Amino acid sequence: MDIALILFAKIFSFLSKMFNLGNGSTWPGHIALSLKPSLINDILTKSQTQTIIVVGTNGKTTTTKLLETILKSNGKNVLLNSSGANLLNGIASSLLLNSSIAGKLSCDFAILELDENAFPKLIENLDPNYIVALNLFRDQLDRYGEINTIAKHWKTSMQKLSKAKLILNADDPQIAYLGKDTKLDTSYFGLNERFVETKTMPHAADSILCPNCGQALNFKGYYFSHLGIWECPDCKFRRPSNVFSSFSDYPLQGTYAKYDILAAVLTAREIGINDKQIVAALKEFKPAFGRQEEIVYKDKHVQLFLAKNPISFNQSLSTVKDLGAKTLLIILNDKIPDGLDVSWIWDVDFEQILDKNVNIIVSGLRAYDMAVRLKYAGFFVHIAQEIDEAINLSLQSLEKNEKLYILPNYSAMLTARKILTGKKIL
Amino acid sequence: MINNLSLTIGWLYPALMSTYGDRGNVLALQKRCEWRGIKVEIKPIDASSTNSDLASCDLLMMGGAQDTQQEVVAEDLIKKKKTFSELIEKGIPGLYICGGFQYLGQYYQTADGHKLIQLGILNMYTENPGGERLIGNVAIDAADLFGKQTILAGFENHGGRTILGKDIQPLGKVLKGFGSNDKAGEEGAVYKNTIGTYLHGPILPKNPELADYLIGKALEIKYKEKIELVALDDLLENEARLTIVKRLGIAL
Repeated sequence: MDIALILFAKIFSFLSKMFNLGNGSTWPGHIALSLKPSLINDILTKSQTQTIIVVGTNGKTTTTKLLETILKSNGKNVLLNSSGANLLNGIASSLLLNSSIAGKLSCDFAILELDENAFPKLIENLDPNYIVALNLFRDQLDRYGEINTIAKHWKTSMQKLSKAKLILNADDPQIAYLGKDTKLDTSYFGLNERFVETKTMPHAADSILCPNCGQALNFKGYYFSHLGIWECPDCKFRRPSNVFSSFSDYPLQGTYAKYDILAAVLTAREIGINDKQIVAALKEFKPAFGRQEEIVYKDKHVQLFLAKNPISFNQSLSTVKDLGAKTLLIILNDKIPDGLDVSWIWDVDFEQILDKNVNIIVSGLRAYDMAVRLKYAGFFVHIAQEIDEAINLSLQSLEKNEKLYILPNYSAMLTARKILTGKKIL
Repeated sequence: MINNLSLTIGWLYPALMSTYGDRGNVLALQKRCEWRGIKVEIKPIDASSTNSDLASCDLLMMGGAQDTQQEVVAEDLIKKKKTFSELIEKGIPGLYICGGFQYLGQYYQTADGHKLIQLGILNMYTENPGGERLIGNVAIDAADLFGKQTILAGFENHGGRTILGKDIQPLGKVLKGFGSNDKAGEEGAVYKNTIGTYLHGPILPKNPELADYLIGKALEIKYKEKIELVALDDLLENEARLTIVKRLGIAL
């Protein structure tokens, strides 16, 4: 049975690549899982491979890439679920394609990036070695639902685990809650620096009620959104105190990337890699596709900053502003991987973050929604709905040696990247 | 003609009831007033506000929320019920989205059969039968409110189905999408100058007629005379709405 499935997946994937049938990366897994639901667990338990799971709304891909870089440069064989395939189908496909005919993996580590709904499903049948939980923000309510519900579901599903080591973000109350009263080995990362916000609650904040008792939390200060130093005045549940909060090298810009770097470094330390080896590895780090990725196109420098929900958008805006951006191309799509509802663009703090004289071009299937959002924020924008046309228009408006900053959401990023590199990722 | 027009917009529970872009509705009201020289004060109304804070508002807006947040708000709202109800009966215009809309009714029955008593200001109730949420782009015709065909477009995402009683009219007929409940082909509710709806998007920025309707009513109640609003350039707003209308295959 297993051999037949594995052969089928390998042949199917080979044929779909050969005849260019489009997305060959998740179909074999989809079919194999429906025939054998325990497939993922079977392969992983049969192999000597250690499993690292990465979950959270923002930063999964970057954290995975950081960990991959550290592990590989320290001589480990690493398997990843291929880009964007963070549902069970995609994971099953990756495992099938990389296993031997006997259904065994030869790699030392599998780093699996999972979406909010796939995570509890996967750990129903699997006790991974490490779980890295980054954050929970509102993202695609039409698909994932409300964050309180997600957090509760995660906590319940994790009760069955017995060997996993948890690496948790102490600054996010919902994530820190996963470590409360657990028998699992738990360590925390978080920031320890000057607060960006101390008084007012940033607008796009989500987790302001205590995940333990439901009272409003007290915050000493915020780093961004609802990440900060917090305590419940009622049940006294509070941010853990023993937190890994600084490292010597940060290979990416911005506060949000700092969290991803701390998470990856802390996980690497838990695995037994020392700081010297980690620093050396991070020197070779290249950003994941679309996440601060730099591309030269028609002799112009272009940098992509994925901006897929209010939090990642705000963080990307702050980062490009700090980098001195003068021309921005914002691309908004509403395809299935983006979420069909674009209401969240009204929770992005354009007014507070951007200077009024920045040159903005908007594009994508929902270009006019973005244009209206920016009009009400007091910006004048140029509109070009087609992405290739918008890229050309933006490049023409650049001054000599000026860099173009592109802020796309997910499917828009894939299209923009394909135009810029001439290559397809998915 | 009255000079120096001004409005106080009460934003109900901005921290707790602001899931997915409801701030856009407040921004649309504010900007469309300011572009016409009408002075605006945005007054957040929450647990720290008094009844007289609430009573000083000329126009109200309340968004939706997650379940936990909604329970916290319900506790406070009941303390303000009398003032709130008086404002609505007096014709103070307001826009109530999703969870905010459901609060105005008699009760909300949860998927597991619990009946949560709501404010009972509007003659309607909401039941959540469990199962599938109603999710997707939606377009309605609010002809009754505007006296002519007026297409409003947005995005709906709700588990509750709202059923209207007597003396309360729907906001519009569903052209494409589900509506307040998936059976009657109707969306939202209108009672005096209070408007309830499940349309996110947010609704006001890309449906400027509705924003102007609320502003016009607020001025009329405050200054006790009808005040003509200066026309604005709504090209972008209309294109944003047409994106959805075309996507839904509605012939214009």
